[in-house]
Amino acid sequence: MIKINGLSKSYGNNEVLKNISMEFSTGKAYGIVGENGAGKTTLFRCIAGLESYIGEIYSDITPLKNHLGLLLTDPFFFSKITGKEYIRLLCNARGKTNLEFDSKNIFDLPLNQYASTYSTGMKKKLAITAILLQENEYFILDEPFNGVDIQSNIILTEIILKLKELNKIVLISSHIFSTLSDTCDEIHLLKKGEQTKSVQKSEFKNLEQEMKEITIGTRIEKLELK
Amino acid sequence: MINRKIKEAGLNPLLGYLLGLTAFVLLSEYIFLKTEFAKYLVILTCLSLQFKLSEKNRTDFLLSTFGDNTKMRIRVIENFIVCIPFVSILLYKSFLIEASILLLCSIILASFSFHSNYNLTIPTPFSKRPFEFSTGFRKTFFIFPIAYALTVIAINVDNLNLGIFAFLLIFLISLSYYYKPEQEYYVWVHAETPKAFLKNKVFNASKNATLIAIPILFSLLIFYPSEFELILIFFLIGLLFLWTVILAKYSAYPGEMNLPEGMIIAFSLYFPPLLLVIIPFFYIKSINKLKYLLND
Repeated sequence: MIKINGLSKSYGNNEVLKNISMEFSTGKAYGIVGENGAGKTTLFRCIAGLESYIGEIYSDITPLKNHLGLLLTDPFFFSKITGKEYIRLLCNARGKTNLEFDSKNIFDLPLNQYASTYSTGMKKKLAITAILLQENEYFILDEPFNGVDIQSNIILTEIILKLKELNKIVLISSHIFSTLSDTCDEIHLLKKGEQTKSVQKSEFKNLEQEMKEITIGTRIEKLELK
Repeated sequence: MINRKIKEAGLNPLLGYLLGLTAFVLLSEYIFLKTEFAKYLVILTCLSLQFKLSEKNRTDFLLSTFGDNTKMRIRVIENFIVCIPFVSILLYKSFLIEASILLLCSIILASFSFHSNYNLTIPTPFSKRPFEFSTGFRKTFFIFPIAYALTVIAINVDNLNLGIFAFLLIFLISLSYYYKPEQEYYVWVHAETPKAFLKNKVFNASKNATLIAIPILFSLLIFYPSEFELILIFFLIGLLFLWTVILAKYSAYPGEMNLPEGMIIAFSLYFPPLLLVIIPFFYIKSINKLKYLLND
């Protein structure tokens, strides 16, 4: 379980998260959606302990950060580190040694090549592989489907479902609604740092329709496409 | 960008340029005093700096942003500015032909682009414990055969000082791997206390640097057994400086090491016993700086 109580975060006078309260249960996946700048990444960074904040974050296994697999939107790689070394680095950091690479390289990545030479999608797949091999209890996946090919998206969806089966907690942000509706049990909507809505799986269809209407509005008509 | 870097170091850019120029003149004087190959060293340094400016991605960006003619003009001006101090020092030392060749090469080099990122993966003995030594080794692997060759020369010409220089070169290269701070994620990801984190960093660095330096250390101990105390003292000093730089890096974390840390390290170069005070100082500061990312 992860419980967030009255979480607020400001950068100077700019309040980017306003009194957020959420609860995440084991064996479930949660979607965090919102426009760019809504505060999704900041919320994730606060949960991970990468940002200071006002409010409280509890977890049943402590310290939370030591059991958290964090996939950043745009993972950074050192210039001369191979895929294998990157995985080793992240696993060693969590005390995991004697790793079996070949059988666990499910995305067929060229692990002996420098990670900096990978494409955007391959980099993301490498980062996902590494946090999976860390054997975490909690997962934060910030835009995991971005830049990844269709085949790998299918694998990734199945991985998230498997993590739920294994009683892990998975938090996902994505701009592709179908990826969330396939995997999540609940979706939290953020708008300008405020938690505007929390929607259960049975109401995802309505939420998608509502988001479509709000987002599109009359924008397309304004274009007067001919 | 240079202005920004100087400002980040806590200096007024004008003062920074002045200090840089003074250091350049003094260093050049020193090199010309010490070796007859100084002119080649000056030419090589200048060309290697210009080589970096010719990096393919960089020149492609200039080409797509400014077009062919303006890109060429920018590249020629850049290379010309870079070569001014080097050509000046060659002219000052009356190497007229060399200065002319360097100027000519600089202008010709402006029309070339080079890939700096080859796909060839250089093997490293430090792959099991990434990342500082595994990535650093790949960037500086060519230095190590030079250091070993210097040791062989030192033994052949019976010059222990040269052997110790080769030995210290290894430590100098090793501590360069710890100069830049890594992204927060790579500290955060460790399930360790700040104490354990620093202990592991220092232990791995010492182990890896010793592994590279051991052929030199053993050779010197075998050929100069009477000087074993001196050799071991230099080994210990090398290790202490390595620890100091690691701790200094995290004492300024997540920022880069700046003037204060640099000055403290420079002072300890003049008086190494100072390290016994500096190391605990940087250690305590590092622990405090890392607390926000690592659980105590």
